[in-house]
Amino acid sequence: MNRIYFLTIDKLNYFLERLKDKYSVFSPVVKTQNYTGEVDYSFDKLPSGTALVFNPYRCVEPLKSFFTLSKEKVAEYFHTQDNLRDLGKVIICGVKSCDIVAHRIQDFVFLEGVAEDSLYRARRENTIFISSDCTAYKEVCFCLALEILPHPTEGFDINLSPLNDGYLVEVGSEKGKNLINEYSDYFIPAKDTQISARQAKRNNLIARLKRDLAPKKIPPKSILQRLIKEGYGLDTWQQFMSTCVECGGCNLICDTCHCFLLEDRKDSGVNEKIKMWDSCLYANYARVAGGANPNKTRSQRLRFRFTKKFDFFVENLKMPACCGCGRCIEVCPGKIDIREILKDLAKKLNLAQ
Amino acid sequence: MKNIYKPIEGVLEDIITESAKIKTFVIRLKENFEFKCGQFIELSLPGIGEAPFTPSSDPAVKEKIDVTIMSAGKITSLLHNSGKNISLGIRGPYGKGYPLHKFEGKDVLIVGGGVGLAPLRALLFGLFADINKYNKIVFRYGARTAQDIIYKDQIPVWAAKERVNWLTTVDVGDPSWKGNVGLITTVLNDLPVDIKKAVVIVCGPPIMMKFVTLKLLDLGFAPADIYLSMEKSMSCGLGKCGHCRIGKFYICKDGPVFTYEELKDTHDIWD
Repeated sequence: MNRIYFLTIDKLNYFLERLKDKYSVFSPVVKTQNYTGEVDYSFDKLPSGTALVFNPYRCVEPLKSFFTLSKEKVAEYFHTQDNLRDLGKVIICGVKSCDIVAHRIQDFVFLEGVAEDSLYRARRENTIFISSDCTAYKEVCFCLALEILPHPTEGFDINLSPLNDGYLVEVGSEKGKNLINEYSDYFIPAKDTQISARQAKRNNLIARLKRDLAPKKIPPKSILQRLIKEGYGLDTWQQFMSTCVECGGCNLICDTCHCFLLEDRKDSGVNEKIKMWDSCLYANYARVAGGANPNKTRSQRLRFRFTKKFDFFVENLKMPACCGCGRCIEVCPGKIDIREILKDLAKKLNLAQ
Repeated sequence: MKNIYKPIEGVLEDIITESAKIKTFVIRLKENFEFKCGQFIELSLPGIGEAPFTPSSDPAVKEKIDVTIMSAGKITSLLHNSGKNISLGIRGPYGKGYPLHKFEGKDVLIVGGGVGLAPLRALLFGLFADINKYNKIVFRYGARTAQDIIYKDQIPVWAAKERVNWLTTVDVGDPSWKGNVGLITTVLNDLPVDIKKAVVIVCGPPIMMKFVTLKLLDLGFAPADIYLSMEKSMSCGLGKCGHCRIGKFYICKDGPVFTYEELKDTHDIWD
């Protein structure tokens, strides 16, 4: 059982203020109201003297943007010492359950397999997650359909659950424990009544989300791979692709999408290798020299995205590469909705609920 | 810690013209580099870009590698127009290559098409190094015309070796060509191999690989005995960048050599 403490809001802000001496502390800030009238939150570096803003749901940016920058130099030719961008020690506040689950995919890609990405490794080790429970959800949120709870259960260093005039602070890792030990005076062990109150709040949110998701009839996690395998030849792909403008937004903002392009560049006489986010919705993604392209059409590319999410990762990591965060739904100018595609496949395969 | 994106340096020592569109680039390496036949590298023009190729030289030679390249896209055409003594970047080797130990004691049938002979040359060198381990090597090579045949001086040497049975065919004949005329699939009947004790290695353009594989299945070869060299848009080489995925595999790390048995349930492998 993880240790759980109680911290008043004032004490939490003192604690974060102290941490800013040693860490770059990133935290949610209110960004803007989006088109649905919801408030969006965005990660930004928290200047000293600024109090933590609690985000009731996930931020706009994917967590991956802290570890794999959208575009950066990763190597120089040939004998120069690589002076790769060191981000120093980082604390990210406001990480949500869906972000943590999605991050398992990024870790699998960049830390496991035939070789690890050393820059990703360094950043991962230098980063501490201070996650928090969701206390509300966006219209596009559907984590429960993927069997992900709207509060972190593992993979965090410290988790905050708002309660009355403070937070319950749960320690989830050695890193988290060490951080708290340095400032142990601030932390009072939580009372059982407080822990029960946290559970009641969590249960309440789950019940509300479940109630709101029920009419959307999103197919269950257990049949997603089957939908993709058996629905490979259906017209769903053509149908939903008609409004795609090939902006790649769904991939770029997805916290499980990891594809990148390696390109060369000359910068003031130095030859460099650049790594940048890529999207399998782009026409040239899989094109080879001479012009052959296994994913010529937009519908083939949409299907490619789905086979990666719900077949490839289920085969190779035993989990789908989707955390139900709904970022791809929000970003799409063509209003292509991942939930609707899964529903359409289920309907056409007579697997609808 | 090793930077997986950093190339090592090679110097372009020689360029051999093989045909109108195909040249062999001999690269002397400035750092230690070894590969197994069938593995591929990312070869780069520093500051311009990189592309995947399978070395065509003898894997036993350590200080330099040959890469036989057809002019097809941006990097390959720049290489074709380049002079000697320039610096090139090399990352790799990547992928699994040919499982030579599984070919021991077998009749080894190799079917190559066009520039697909390049990686097969590295395989041949690998096989020749221990030729007594294999029952026989039967090679069927197809080129579009007599002018498109590569390694023209070496083929007669290989064909004359003991245990080797070689036939070259061209799709379109001309008065200068005295050999066989016909598509590669037409020279696969009456093969001097025991189908039940044979392995087949196929390498060539996707359309050729498709029809050769279908023909081999018709002839009774087992899907697990057919080895295919797959080619997609390999980039990072390590199963991370995503580009070369087919179904549940990345060509770069799970291949590029696969048996047909492994791929037969994957969609669109020939596209």
